Amino acid sequence: MTELSPVSVRAVDAAGLSDIRAKVQAGVRLSFEDGVRLYHTEEIATLAALANLDRERRWGDLTFFNRNVHVNTTNVCEASCIFCSFARLKTGDAGAYTMSIDEAVGRIRALRDELITEVHIVNGLNPDLPWGYYPDLLRAIKAERPDLHIKAFTAVEIHYFAEKYGKSYREVLEELRAAGLGSLPGGGAEIFHPRARRKLCHDKVDADGWLEVHRVAHRMGMRTNCTMLFGSIETVEERIDHMVRLRSLQDETGGFQTFIPLRFHHENNRLQRLKEPTGFESLRTYAISRLMLDNIDHIKAYWVMLGMKLAQVSLNWGVDDLDGTIREERIYHMAGAKTPQELTRAELVQLIRDAGRVPVERDTLYNVVAEA
Amino acid sequence: MYRVACVGYTNAWPLTRHLDPRVFEVVPCVPSEAARLLREREADLGLIPVAALLTDGDWRVAPGHCIGCDGDVASVLLVGETPIEEWEAVALDGESRTSVVLAQILLKGPLGRPDLRVYPVDAGTGAFHAQGRTGAVVIGDAARNLPARLTTRIDLGRVWKDWTGLPFVFAVWAGRADVGTEAVAGLRAAAEKGLAERAFAPAEDRHYLTANIRYELDDKALMGLRRFAALGHAAGLLARDTFSLYGPSAAPRPRRVDLDTLLARGAEGDRLTLDDGVRLETEARLEDLGNAAHQRRLALHPGREVTYIISRNINYTNVCVTACKFCAFYRPKNHPEAYVLTREQLHQKLTELVACGGVEVLLQGGLNLALGIEYYEDLFRWIKANYPVALHALSPEEIFHIMSVSKLTMEETLDRLIAAGMDSMPGGGAEVLVDEVRKRIAPLKCTSEEWLAVMRMSHQKGLRSSATMMFGVGESSRHRMEHLVRLRDLQDEHGGFTAFICWTFVPENTYVQPGNNTAAAWLRTNATSRLVLDNFDNLQASWVTQGPGVAQASLTMGCNDFGSVMLEENVVSAAGSTWAMTIDDVEHHIRTAGFVPVRRNMRYDHLEVRDVRAQPGV
Repeated sequence: MTELSPVSVRAVDAAGLSDIRAKVQAGVRLSFEDGVRLYHTEEIATLAALANLDRERRWGDLTFFNRNVHVNTTNVCEASCIFCSFARLKTGDAGAYTMSIDEAVGRIRALRDELITEVHIVNGLNPDLPWGYYPDLLRAIKAERPDLHIKAFTAVEIHYFAEKYGKSYREVLEELRAAGLGSLPGGGAEIFHPRARRKLCHDKVDADGWLEVHRVAHRMGMRTNCTMLFGSIETVEERIDHMVRLRSLQDETGGFQTFIPLRFHHENNRLQRLKEPTGFESLRTYAISRLMLDNIDHIKAYWVMLGMKLAQVSLNWGVDDLDGTIREERIYHMAGAKTPQELTRAELVQLIRDAGRVPVERDTLYNVVAEA
Repeated sequence: MYRVACVGYTNAWPLTRHLDPRVFEVVPCVPSEAARLLREREADLGLIPVAALLTDGDWRVAPGHCIGCDGDVASVLLVGETPIEEWEAVALDGESRTSVVLAQILLKGPLGRPDLRVYPVDAGTGAFHAQGRTGAVVIGDAARNLPARLTTRIDLGRVWKDWTGLPFVFAVWAGRADVGTEAVAGLRAAAEKGLAERAFAPAEDRHYLTANIRYELDDKALMGLRRFAALGHAAGLLARDTFSLYGPSAAPRPRRVDLDTLLARGAEGDRLTLDDGVRLETEARLEDLGNAAHQRRLALHPGREVTYIISRNINYTNVCVTACKFCAFYRPKNHPEAYVLTREQLHQKLTELVACGGVEVLLQGGLNLALGIEYYEDLFRWIKANYPVALHALSPEEIFHIMSVSKLTMEETLDRLIAAGMDSMPGGGAEVLVDEVRKRIAPLKCTSEEWLAVMRMSHQKGLRSSATMMFGVGESSRHRMEHLVRLRDLQDEHGGFTAFICWTFVPENTYVQPGNNTAAAWLRTNATSRLVLDNFDNLQASWVTQGPGVAQASLTMGCNDFGSVMLEENVVSAAGSTWAMTIDDVEHHIRTAGFVPVRRNMRYDHLEVRDVRAQPGV
């Protein structure tokens, strides 16, 4: 059993967190108030000690990554989320694009010699596409590369499909699954609390809708991920509220695999007046996520937006999964992320080893794919 | 002991014949039995046909080796007396389900006969059933000795390869999830030995074992296996479409109780030995090191203040004769990009510095043979006469250079520079103060002893200086700790060092292969430094090399100073590190990390300052 060393116990207690330490050590669930208190400590090395205790109990030094391909087949989007650098484009606007199915498949075909295991598809809410585009897209990808797991369409998109094409969530998901959908990514959660959500993305599906899509998917036996957009206009209480809502659904279904905190970027969108969250904010959010979300297996850091150095360091603040070797990435780069767009597998593996961790190449469902 | 189900096929012996009898007990069987033995726990591991793997239990696959092919396999065929176009049915030989599933996938796909009626027949009777308009799947050694009447012979390995571009995997080592890693390693060791012996196989098998059968379970083979799983599953022929390899253990490392005392002693400011430092740096958990370092930092600086300085790094010349392999900044003297700054250029830089509230100029440059002591004396006097800034100037390396160009002793040189206005000396050029490391990365630089000698004499003369370490050039933990102990010993003599700053080597545009120069390594070494350097007051966070976020983390792991708002830093940026922060940025990062930013001078005195942040260009 991993335990805290006395020097870390002393630091945690000096930060006034001895009761929370006792809960973490005993594996007792933290309350909403505990989460808020954790956010009010500035001694983030103590959060590292608590979060890493939990992380190593689950995974030891294992650090997961996968080789996947991201495809965003359209950036035309009806929604007007103020944090997005990508959306509110109409077909025909400068910079707007919609890939044909052949173009999308071409992206996959270009990687035919690589052991990627997953394709990740997230799109804008495009009012000009027929419903058939989506199942056809999935079928075409499966025909080209049947061994790829397709993780596609956030709950926001599923909700949009249901409304626009007059289907229930279940019907949408059943049709997409029959066409090859394997799981849902966790995007579009942003912040659930209505105050922040109204400001950030008033015309997007609300918290209950987002959670209901995932509930339906879980009941159909699909695994999904979940996210939180942090560091824009939300309060600390709203972040914890967000985590607690996810935790409640997970108690009910157990379908979430991974929680991915997403750091707000401010370039090329309507929130440029805001400062971006600092690395400190990212690290403590990872740690608190690990501690609050006791029923979700994995916490993932997305290095494209975080930077390699912080992503590596986050492995001591509760993170056990790095979103790795991405070959196509549009969304964050339009918002000014300054990190390299791709890493080689060898670079990522070395980065993990240099942090004293053990790399494991996984597929979407956390099967071990290849030796790292 | 692990019981291993092994088939007696020719293609299996390279994997099985050298299984260490002290670890493995071989259970001979036919392929269809291997899965049953595993399922019924009569074996722990087995050479399992992949169709069984993708149908039966939740087994793990051992990485490394398999029985596969990449093109012609010679032993898995569709055979018949007539061409496939004329067939009406195919008999599926029960000897190998994998081949049967493969045949069905290929008949539906590239062979274009999804219409054929298929029916199972007894193991080993495939060739017998192949008559007239009925074809058959035949496998194994039987397929390599076919009667002459079977003129249609379609190699399924070849068809798969032409269709998918991938190898095909027929069988893998697989077993229960709880099989130990030593067993998996033992399978690999046996295979490596056995595969090397294929050259001595009987002539009739040699080609088959070396050219037909492919034993590597590499990325390509794994892709082939994944493709087969997906296609077979989609066709309703296989129950599972995924599998998992054996991975490393998820067991947590136990806490090292023996390190607790060391951590506590370090946190209390007790003197640690070089060996203690090595043990802490290499074996303690990062967060424990960090919490111990922070405790020590709080003992030295009890408030929540974090200092920083407004400074300008002026590199007065980039001409240098040292040619350090890790440097991307220097130029030889006749290079088109070589420069020595003019007074006009210096005036502009210094005026900007003063306008921004700067209190210090950091003056460092290359070793330029054209510049002797008079150049420095004139420059220092001119700066001190015209600008209200402290002169934090020259590294030991530059002192040696001036001594040699102007034929002066170290004492004469230092006396004249101090008389001209030098206030303090940055600790640059220390790199790693261990000569075997220095010789490798900077062969023309002064030795560790020489570097320390300049610092010693400077401190004797009342100059203060900072101390640095640049690491991540492939040195060992012991080298780094030797460096720290040397600095500590010198600090015991005169107490002249104001602060310690370490950073990691930035490899872009240089010729040195980096070692572990990552942020995680920096946090670890930095925290250890706080514990070992018990007689140093201040530790600076090098955000220039680590980025502001990692530097923030270091504020609760040993650092109490955020370095400088630098108006210029040519050397690190030439090597690809591109972080830049304004005064606002620096203060924001200090504040959001829960500390109070305080401006300081080069002696680490806290300054009362007017707010200059409203001024443009800051």
